[in-house]
Amino acid sequence: MRNIIVAPLAPIRISVEAEILSPDIFAPLSMEQICGLDVWQGNRKRKISDLFRVVGDEGQVRPEETALRLEGDFSRVKRIAEGMTAGTVDVIGSAGMHAGNNMKGGKLSILGNADDWLGREMRGGSIAVEGNAGNYAGAGYRGEKCGMRGGEIEIRGNAGAYLGEHLCGGDIRVAGNAGDFPGAANQGGTIFIGGSTHLPGAEMTKGTIIVNGKAKVLPGYQKLEIVTIGGEKYQKYAGDLVENGKGELFIRTGSS
Amino acid sequence: MIIRGGIVYDPANGIFGEEMDLCIDGGRIVEDAKGEVIDARGLLVMPGGVDAHTHIAGKKMNTGRIMRPDDARLGTELRSGVCRPSTGYTVPNCYAIGYRYARMGYTTAFEAATPIIEARHTHEELEEIPILDKGALTLFGNNWEVMECVHDKDIAKLAAYVAWGLRAARGYGIKIVNPGGGEAWGFGSNVKGLYDPVPNFDVTPAEIIHALAEANEMLRLPHSIHLHFNNLGKPGNYTTALETLEALEDIKPSRMRQAVHVTHMQFSAYGGTSWRDFESKASIIADYLNKHNHATMDMGQLLFGAATTMTADAPLEYGNARLTHNKWSNHDIELEESSGVVPMVYSRKMLVNAVQWAIGLELALLTEDPWKVLMTTDSPNGSPFVNYPEVITLLMSKPKRDSEMATLHGELSKRTSLGCIERELDWSEIAIMTRAAPARILGLEDKGHLGLGADGDVSIYNLSPHEVDASQEHATVKKALAAAKYTIKSGTVVCKDGKILATPRGKTYWVDAVAAQADMDRLMVDLQDKFERYYSVQMSNYAVQDVYVTNPRVVKAGLGAGPLKEAA
Repeated sequence: MRNIIVAPLAPIRISVEAEILSPDIFAPLSMEQICGLDVWQGNRKRKISDLFRVVGDEGQVRPEETALRLEGDFSRVKRIAEGMTAGTVDVIGSAGMHAGNNMKGGKLSILGNADDWLGREMRGGSIAVEGNAGNYAGAGYRGEKCGMRGGEIEIRGNAGAYLGEHLCGGDIRVAGNAGDFPGAANQGGTIFIGGSTHLPGAEMTKGTIIVNGKAKVLPGYQKLEIVTIGGEKYQKYAGDLVENGKGELFIRTGSS
Repeated sequence: MIIRGGIVYDPANGIFGEEMDLCIDGGRIVEDAKGEVIDARGLLVMPGGVDAHTHIAGKKMNTGRIMRPDDARLGTELRSGVCRPSTGYTVPNCYAIGYRYARMGYTTAFEAATPIIEARHTHEELEEIPILDKGALTLFGNNWEVMECVHDKDIAKLAAYVAWGLRAARGYGIKIVNPGGGEAWGFGSNVKGLYDPVPNFDVTPAEIIHALAEANEMLRLPHSIHLHFNNLGKPGNYTTALETLEALEDIKPSRMRQAVHVTHMQFSAYGGTSWRDFESKASIIADYLNKHNHATMDMGQLLFGAATTMTADAPLEYGNARLTHNKWSNHDIELEESSGVVPMVYSRKMLVNAVQWAIGLELALLTEDPWKVLMTTDSPNGSPFVNYPEVITLLMSKPKRDSEMATLHGELSKRTSLGCIERELDWSEIAIMTRAAPARILGLEDKGHLGLGADGDVSIYNLSPHEVDASQEHATVKKALAAAKYTIKSGTVVCKDGKILATPRGKTYWVDAVAAQADMDRLMVDLQDKFERYYSVQMSNYAVQDVYVTNPRVVKAGLGAGPLKEAA
């Protein structure tokens, strides 16, 4: 395994677009080449070494043999691990917007919080966040018909609004609460919410949403039978009938 | 400027791949010139490309941009050199349209559909498209005043209205889209055929089309009527196409050109009774065009991948939206038109899309005379214009068509005859279909050829036409066409090796036609009533002011305009 560590030289105040922080980009390059990569900070083009200390093993390898460790506060660094296909990225701190967007494989873990658009439109691989995630985790970006299509997102804290909007596949698990409208326009993915949420599954046509806490259910949902999942009892709903949907919504009984 | 030693294709002047020098001075082709020498030895040289039917400006283009931020992301290019930032793939921003056409060696593009009342918006966008010379066709096919004139069989007043409307819109010619259907759509229906009456107006599409064609010739407009058929996009609609063409056989063109230009014929050459038994009728349409000389067409080629359908045919777009479950937009445009926009993805796996793909190519290959068929994709309806090199290479290479067909639905060969067509177009035919013919069909005298006095618009490609076998080396050809070695616009090198070097402002063509004063007076009585009773704007605020068309090229037509110089 080739280990590379990236850490900010000083606290980053102006946002940096760092789609190059990905095993796919780093793997075939020497350390010198990596240090010469460009990033945009605001409207200025900078060298990665102007902003970050980059140290690690030499040797050109494949992406799956690359482990990236981002140490420090990356909450103003956007697009970490964009489109990565293999390998690992560990953020020892918080990550900025669009982390893991379009990911196709590999593993991204974030020790702190993730900002908005975590894992948007991802196709595969897995993302784990110890803290909270912002809005639109696993969603499709503006105008897009399909959000996440495959892979897994696990959020151990809370998630913001529009979790998994336009979801077309894959699994999202949130241990805490989720904001408004999780799984809006879901077309085939699965969302599990450990805590409470508001108005899940608006315009859902296919897929599954399970809520363990409280949730206000939209009027477009038809109340069905009580079912048992993993020893717990859930009220099952079908919808969203507004879209003639075939989605399934489960709310743990006694909670809603 | 002197362009040395190129292999020149200038079909309008009978030059088919001859080595010769070209001189440009004062923005025009001249006998002799001094100054910059461009080394084009052995390279393919053609007049600048002319696109006679594309959607590049106006309200529906902007609606497409607004509803497709996802598309904007697909074509992002940073600001660099003289270029401003580009966005979008099927619905690019104004700057990108100019740069991308110029990169392919195109120097002229005509926006295909503008209602008069929205023409100001169209011109605001045309003004922002760099490099290209442009023009915009004006919609008349669902206009209340038009239908009333048609009902009264008052062709003289109709001609007066067309002249007034073109001036108000700063428009170039008569565009007709699903005549009567757009008006019927205001009441939730459509016209089902050429002889189906339009609700409330007691006229038929056949009468509207014929009357507008007569008015067109009465005004001696440079372009003929530009027609989008009824029943477009529906299985079995080839009969409507043939019926319409037959109904126009008696129109006598007032100039050396066609009596009708049929646009995006691919969408109107469909057989079958439903999408299940959908099949190509391209051979019948091509056969008709081979036997008749009053009509020309453009392909409206469909390519696999992303597109955005946008048209004044609102009922068609409603159907598209229901079919795809995609987001959609529909408009009713006061007394004039309706329109709609729906994003689309054409898939190789779908038999219907594969048949549509084949129909466009069949039309171009089965029509013997390349002067009768233009290469277009009805951008962005069939595919965005940046994919023209793909269409050209498909037309030039049977092996490429075969290898594409091998990846498509097995049933395809039963639904079309494309697999049996051996014809491969040569550079002369391509130069006609992308340069000479569109200019002649539009009536642009100074475009599409390289004779003395023509506009100094030249494209030079990194390709030796006598050495490269376009049939086998189609990948090389496609690459060369996608990024011109040089694009020269009015004597300025605007693009070199695919990189934009200069962004001069292009001209906007519009037609100023003169109608008889007595007819104009009668018309004004009608219009004053319409503006008072129905329009949301005052008549005095309606027309496009000159400030919106800052670099106009006014083409005179109509009564007393004198004999017109014919296109080369």
